[in-house]
Amino acid sequence: MTNIIELLKKNGGISAWRVSETATKSYELFFVHRQLETVRATDTLDTMVTVYVDHDGCRGDSTFAVSAALTDAEAEEKIDAAVRRAGLVSNPPYALPEGGTLRAELPTNMQDEDPKALGRKIADAVFAADSVPGGSINACEIFLYRDTLHVRNSGGVDKTQVTHRVMIEAIPTFTDEKQSVELYEDYRFTVFDPGKITAEIARKMAEVRDRVIAEKPQTPLKTRVLLRPHEIRGMCEELSWALSYNAVYSHATPFHLGDDLQEGGDGDRLTLTMRGVVEGSEDSAFFDEDGTALTDTCVIDKGVVKNNHGSSRYGQYLNVERPSGIMNCLELNAGTVSEAELKSAPYLECVSLSGLQMDLFSDYIGGEIRLAYWFDGRETRPVTGITMSGKLSDVMKHLRLSRETVVDGAYQGPALLLMPEMTVL
Amino acid sequence: MPFSSYLNGKRKDCAELVQALGRYFPYVSILGTDVRSTSVRADKRTTAVQEGRGECGFVVKMNDGRAFFEYSLDDISGDKAALADRIRAAVATDAALSARMIAPGPIDDTPMQQDFLRETDFTDYSDADLLKTCQELVKEMGEKDQRVLNAFAVLQFFTCSKLFVTRNRHLSQHYGWANGHLIVMFGGDKMVQARHTEGADKLSEIISALRAHTASVVDLAEHLTHATPIEPGIYDVITDPSITGLIAHEAFGHGVEMDQFVKDRALAKHCMGQYVASPISNMHDGAAATHSVASYFFDDDGVLAHDTQIIKDGILTAGLSDLASAAQLGAAPTGNGRRDSYKRKAYARMTNTFFEPGKDKLEDMIASVKHGYMLFETNNGMEDPKNWQIQCTAEYGIEIVDGKLTDHYVSPVVMSGFVPDLLKSISMISDQSTVIGSGMCGKGYKEWVRVADGGPHLKVRVKLG
Repeated sequence: MTNIIELLKKNGGISAWRVSETATKSYELFFVHRQLETVRATDTLDTMVTVYVDHDGCRGDSTFAVSAALTDAEAEEKIDAAVRRAGLVSNPPYALPEGGTLRAELPTNMQDEDPKALGRKIADAVFAADSVPGGSINACEIFLYRDTLHVRNSGGVDKTQVTHRVMIEAIPTFTDEKQSVELYEDYRFTVFDPGKITAEIARKMAEVRDRVIAEKPQTPLKTRVLLRPHEIRGMCEELSWALSYNAVYSHATPFHLGDDLQEGGDGDRLTLTMRGVVEGSEDSAFFDEDGTALTDTCVIDKGVVKNNHGSSRYGQYLNVERPSGIMNCLELNAGTVSEAELKSAPYLECVSLSGLQMDLFSDYIGGEIRLAYWFDGRETRPVTGITMSGKLSDVMKHLRLSRETVVDGAYQGPALLLMPEMTVL
Repeated sequence: MPFSSYLNGKRKDCAELVQALGRYFPYVSILGTDVRSTSVRADKRTTAVQEGRGECGFVVKMNDGRAFFEYSLDDISGDKAALADRIRAAVATDAALSARMIAPGPIDDTPMQQDFLRETDFTDYSDADLLKTCQELVKEMGEKDQRVLNAFAVLQFFTCSKLFVTRNRHLSQHYGWANGHLIVMFGGDKMVQARHTEGADKLSEIISALRAHTASVVDLAEHLTHATPIEPGIYDVITDPSITGLIAHEAFGHGVEMDQFVKDRALAKHCMGQYVASPISNMHDGAAATHSVASYFFDDDGVLAHDTQIIKDGILTAGLSDLASAAQLGAAPTGNGRRDSYKRKAYARMTNTFFEPGKDKLEDMIASVKHGYMLFETNNGMEDPKNWQIQCTAEYGIEIVDGKLTDHYVSPVVMSGFVPDLLKSISMISDQSTVIGSGMCGKGYKEWVRVADGGPHLKVRVKLG
């Protein structure tokens, strides 16, 4: 194919267009125990094209993929088909982002590393933590990616972002004479630090050793439950989805601007901000799929819905003057109590959940706990085989947040969140 | 719609690249994929007609008697010797890692040449037809009740062409599947969301089924506005086929994916030949086990589709394997090697996973419950193959009191507990069965593939929260 943009410009039926290309090179290692089972590499280019057709006071759009192997004639045929489809779609008009060129690279120290050598160094760092008697890493997958995202549109947007990122999936396991147990580790970074990798896997190894001695506590019980950053991020993501322009415009959210999500509460007030960049996060970005420059946006201020966020199109539908762009990173403001204070009374600290279940419509929060630490006021012991549940609205009213903060993937915020009076069964 | 003309034109390129790489690797395969998808959607305020999730590219798989090597790329045109050199360089490893590779058994490459085709009716419908249908469905739902804040109707279908070439094997397949969704956002005392999903390989069936459910999905939404949280406890439960499928898939299916056996990640590895479920339970998986969304003819390793009976009369009898795990275990692969896309690794994955029907009548099952719940519609689930703990979420349940369904809805409902406890508690199985072909399944938190699951109604005793 000659050049998709030249072909788009030649088509008289198109009012506007957007081309988004993602070039990905990866190097991947798959271990079974300590043995290398599979080595993979990829070199691919995804090109997604959106055409916009203005008709009858409306704007229609249609998106299609362009593969590297298309001939000019085939690409023109796909463009014509998309124009016809966009002509069927009658949505309220909206403008595309205009102008702006950028070439950005997320901070990394991996750009000059040979993937094979870096892959081995990462593997060494992971297996350095595999030194606990009775413990093992039964499986480990290491993914090294270099993504180049290039977004252009008919309004002059021409932006490129390069991201070097690594994902490690490891399965720390501990076996004694009675049983064998495991935990799941998903560790992602953009800056290589072998010491941090080993420390993270070693922390998980220590936890899985506790899982083998964990027992089901006496239930049912009502207790305070502590969540760690991974689950706090999950809660924040549920809230942030419900505060997107798209959710509001589609009547798919129970929340409105000005709502006090913690009305009548006595806990720490939530202040949640959508951010384009959180240092070290692979989800960091300078622009979104439309090429919209990202604007950090506080969506909940001291418990009250302050702003919505999201795509330029739906922002315009809500008459937002400057839509934020689509952001994947979150910052939750620090709370008012120390971790030590949060742990001064009986608590159940969740280490590993099957998945935090949160339903904004049914006012529910809960999950199955695979490993937690139970402090009964006298001693702390690992527990398993239990579930917790409660009313989300009660949690929102009375939750407490730690003063200490951490960065965990796309989340920056309190290290602990306390949910009062959860039912544990 | 016929097999991909693009892939058809690449047969010679594939054979040449297999030959070029065959100088260095005893086993070489190439999988070419051309998956095309269309999505048509309407709600009260917007519409969309566009391509959905698709893919077009190649993955080369090699084995040198030790590790497996894979390379994913967009095109295989051009000088094959140069491409083979590029591929070998890309998958080379650091010397320290080369010294610690696995040593699998031999890989079967029995000669086979076959082209498979399953027709669809997708070309009978224009984009305009489908959009009009979605708009009519939205209008119908909106007119049922003024408390309908928004309604969504979605029609999605995909056609899948795959070409698989080794030194001895030339296979091609083409098939398709369609799904339809109705979603209602409903106001009133509280805001709720209700959904209805259909799956079939004929759009005509999907459209008819969706038209028949516009009233019931709004009615469900109305009931959900009155739903309360469930009082956590252990209850007698009747599952609908969706929840039966969730149990089959999440509670048990992941645990018999045999790449987990290789990694010592599955308790099931030690339970072959043992009772893991009630003696009236029989469970299957396989692309050839039934006709649904995961019914392909050969898997992404070029292994023909199977019907694997996982549980026979309560006893665990077989697991599910891809090429790599079978080679390491010295077993024959079961046709369960599946990829998220040509860009991702093949793993042992479920396909269509379901319980066999039993002999009980649903009304007798409900009548047998003094106090419990009937659970409906999968929301999500999470597996734990090593320790067999489960978490499965149903969208809603209806309370059963003295053998009768009441008007008391609870939502959401989370089932949890220990898998064998749940499966051994199965005391009744209905004589009617449905496999639902609308699911997506991840392995851990990635590697998404289309799956179906289901079966009859089950009576179980389980922890709900």
